[in-house]
Amino acid sequence: MSALGKVVRSGVGRRRVQSVVMALTTFAAVTSAVLSLGLLAVVQAPFEHAFRARDGAHLAVQFDGAKVTAAQATATVHAAGVTEASGPYPVAAALDTTVGTDCPDEALAGHDNGPLTVTTRPDLGSTSGMDQLALTRGRWPTNPGEIALPWQHYAADCFGASVVFSSLPGSPSFKVVGFANSVTNSATAFATADGFARLTAAGAKSDVQMLYRFATAGTAADIATDKQAVAAAAPAGAVEGGQSYLTAEQQATGNAKAYVPFLTAFGILGLFMSVLIISIVVSGAVASGIRRIGILKSLGFTPAQVARAYTAQAMIPATLGVVLGTVSGNLLAVPILGEATKQLGAASAAGATIPWWVSAVVSLGTLLIVGVTAVIPALRAGRMPTVRALVVGRAPKAGGGRAAQRLASRLPLPRAVSMGLAQSFARPARAVTVGAAVLFGVVSVTFAVGLESGFTKYLDTSTSGFNVASEIVIPTADVGVPWGLHGPNDPRTPHLDATEVAAALAGIPGTKTAFGWGDSGATMVGAPPGGEAPRVFTVTGDFSWTHMELLSGRWYSAPGEAVVGDKLASAVGIHVGDDVTVVQQNKHLSLKVAGINFDTNQGDYTVMTDAATFTAAGLTPHIDQFNVQLASNVSGSDWSTSAAAALTPLNASVESNSGWGKNIVMITMGALVATLTLMMIAVAALGVLSMVVQDTRERVHDLGILKALGMTPKQTVAMVLTSVTLTGLIAGLIGVPLGVAVEKATLSPMGDAIGRHLPPSVSHVYTPGLLIPLLAGGIVIALLGALLPAGWAARSRTATALRTE
Amino acid sequence: MTNAPMIELRDTTKKYDDGPPALAGVTLSVAAGECVAILGHSGSGKSTLLNLIAGLDKPSSGTVTVDGTRVDQLGEADSARYRRASIGMVFQFFNLLDDLTVLDNVMVPAQLAGMGKREAQRRAVDLLGSLDIDRHAKTYPQRLSGGQRQRVAVARALMNDPALLLADEPTGALDSSSAEDVRELLLELNSDGQTILLVTHDVQLAASTAGRTIELVDGSVARDVVNPAGGATVNSSAGAVR
Repeated sequence: MSALGKVVRSGVGRRRVQSVVMALTTFAAVTSAVLSLGLLAVVQAPFEHAFRARDGAHLAVQFDGAKVTAAQATATVHAAGVTEASGPYPVAAALDTTVGTDCPDEALAGHDNGPLTVTTRPDLGSTSGMDQLALTRGRWPTNPGEIALPWQHYAADCFGASVVFSSLPGSPSFKVVGFANSVTNSATAFATADGFARLTAAGAKSDVQMLYRFATAGTAADIATDKQAVAAAAPAGAVEGGQSYLTAEQQATGNAKAYVPFLTAFGILGLFMSVLIISIVVSGAVASGIRRIGILKSLGFTPAQVARAYTAQAMIPATLGVVLGTVSGNLLAVPILGEATKQLGAASAAGATIPWWVSAVVSLGTLLIVGVTAVIPALRAGRMPTVRALVVGRAPKAGGGRAAQRLASRLPLPRAVSMGLAQSFARPARAVTVGAAVLFGVVSVTFAVGLESGFTKYLDTSTSGFNVASEIVIPTADVGVPWGLHGPNDPRTPHLDATEVAAALAGIPGTKTAFGWGDSGATMVGAPPGGEAPRVFTVTGDFSWTHMELLSGRWYSAPGEAVVGDKLASAVGIHVGDDVTVVQQNKHLSLKVAGINFDTNQGDYTVMTDAATFTAAGLTPHIDQFNVQLASNVSGSDWSTSAAAALTPLNASVESNSGWGKNIVMITMGALVATLTLMMIAVAALGVLSMVVQDTRERVHDLGILKALGMTPKQTVAMVLTSVTLTGLIAGLIGVPLGVAVEKATLSPMGDAIGRHLPPSVSHVYTPGLLIPLLAGGIVIALLGALLPAGWAARSRTATALRTE
Repeated sequence: MTNAPMIELRDTTKKYDDGPPALAGVTLSVAAGECVAILGHSGSGKSTLLNLIAGLDKPSSGTVTVDGTRVDQLGEADSARYRRASIGMVFQFFNLLDDLTVLDNVMVPAQLAGMGKREAQRRAVDLLGSLDIDRHAKTYPQRLSGGQRQRVAVARALMNDPALLLADEPTGALDSSSAEDVRELLLELNSDGQTILLVTHDVQLAASTAGRTIELVDGSVARDVVNPAGGATVNSSAGAVR
């Protein structure tokens, strides 16, 4: 090994704690950065690439075919802001379908297949113009009996079998010859013109679709403005719905994109922390090793060699952290990307990995940043005059702090405490550095606690509403059957007789209240064709006791009113007072939107209305479940026994409400946040430890004097701990508001990523009860970091310390 | 003045690692009110002896008793309390805390022992006055001469009214005038009844200050003699020499 190598190795060996700190910090920073950048690359980039390559439409507008002619629709290309347009194309929206009975998989044959929005184009396989369709399997339909669908809208095992438009008279059937999609989900089924004509001939309502690109379309607000401009250029009331590319993007990137904001925040915090810690350690090594530098130079080391030696002492552990962080980031990405890839439409999630260039960019970028950080103090070491280094021998003694000592001695505090308090001011630069390490720790903790509280509150919302019940009553035929097996429109799906079950429940002793609800199988005109199918729930009875959250407006109270879920409202641009049209078995019903609710339980796009509204309009409400609240002191098993007698004749059975499955995304996010936070706290505390160790080493002689004068080990510990307490307190006071700001800047984009505007009940997490302990977090981190060196100081041998000069 | 032993070492040995013992079976006693000089060359074991008596180090074997306290059996915290209560220490290089004023330096031992600030300040001012350095009370040690700094160190050592004053080469870093000044101070203290253990390699200082000189050679007591011209001599025969 070369002389330089030996110097570097001994330097790393002598600073084991500092080396571990540097490795840990870069590890945390690189893990977060690889994950966040990797997710962005994997999740976001393919959509953006496809959107550009296929000339995706910013907005696909569906006009009511009864209110607009093709010419009038075409005229909207002159609306304000439109830069490019395509259409008109015929479209038939939200048609109920089932899997054909010719599907070789018997379990799927005849199964409810959800609603489809069918369109036709002059050339389905065109590779020019706007919204070019992509074929991923099979071929394009060439005759009236064939159709192509996105793979998400038809069972792969049934490919080649038929799809049946079950709610149209005559139930026209089409053979699925291809899997194909529009990048913005402008439609979810593609037929020939003759094939489309078969649907309209069978009674499907034919509407008109126009596709647009706009000059300004970066945000949902831009798209809303653009949509208004198009609506203004068309006959009044002609616009039935509009599908924004932002909704399609959200559907494509799914939950994975929600990870990006907080991972980015942790990545940035981690990188700042790395820079801070490395500058602490290398500056400390230079400051405490001046004599050593002098000896090295007197032995013939050149200034460049000295600088390299000190840079390498930081780069070795940092490189280790970078390598481990890159591996960890890639490994952690596997489960997250698995889900994301499915959202993107890949056939298999097995190949979901972060692109190699992400690891390369993050690794090299981090090494460059930490390298520059280390080089600055290392160059100072290289330039230090040899004679001065040998004469000075160690870092100059702090000259400051006398005024602080004088002031502190006047405080009515034990002397050990007041001496420790004054030490914060003896080396202001060092105190600021300790404060910065604690600050990053406090920001991370505050941010993480806020996020976790937000996650918890979000999860709490999934145990409210339709999930709240002491006991539930379901059709006997559904007992032991997976929920929603056949789909709401499948004739095999059993329903409850709402009137009789409600009457029976009211007569069972111990029943406090109950309400019934079910998926009506209806869909909503204008709902996003991609992603999850919209659900229209019909409800009977009082459900106010479930504390379902209402974001705006009020609950429906009159016939013809409905409440729309926030995600559907955001995606389509529905507001309180608007009218929406729901369709069940090709029967249309207009509903007035009375309120927007926040519901994370029952799917992405939901509408709720009273069952009586459906009945009055000639539609069929479905009641699939009653949620029962028992009176206090009523035993569930006793009630179930007596309820069974009343319910069995009605083909209804009692089940205990065993709760619902955990939201795995939120659990994964929570675990990631907790891991990264613990890592950041550990790094912050280790940063403090590193500084206090350095300080204690430099003050070992003074400590010896004090111990010789009778300072006990406890007093020594108290003095060292107090030396960081004030700094920790100040860092806490600054760090908490910063952490709150980071959380506010992160949680909303996370909500946006999953297409939800988080309500105050979820986003307002910082209560006084939470903030006050957080304010003390700075002191806790500082004390955690100072505890070990305080113990070392207390145990140091007085006689040895006294000999140290 | 009493004849009870203030310091008593019995067959005390201190070994570091595998080398020869720094102290080898030393037995000695010092009576209260005596001023005893421990004389020896570098490496003779005199600093080790002082550290054992001050409770800064533990013997490998044997016992160390000071003012009735078995110092060798004390834990860390009790050693610190023992030093506060019974020991005052004066060092060659003063060991004053540079960022505290003279007054604050002197007050530290009393404050560590829990004395109230007002009372500690009053006593420190008295001590500084009696040592004729009260005019420097608000000054920082670095602005004082060596002799003045050593006077401050002595004041600090006396702050808790210790039974025993340990002086480790107290004139070693001083010019001759300051050294004489400190020597006279020690004599004065001893004449007032203060027990003093003076560790030095300066034969003249030992002879002129202490009433008795114990010479250490290679960790063993080589000589234990009474100095007729030195300080108080309580009972030279009390120093049982092996």
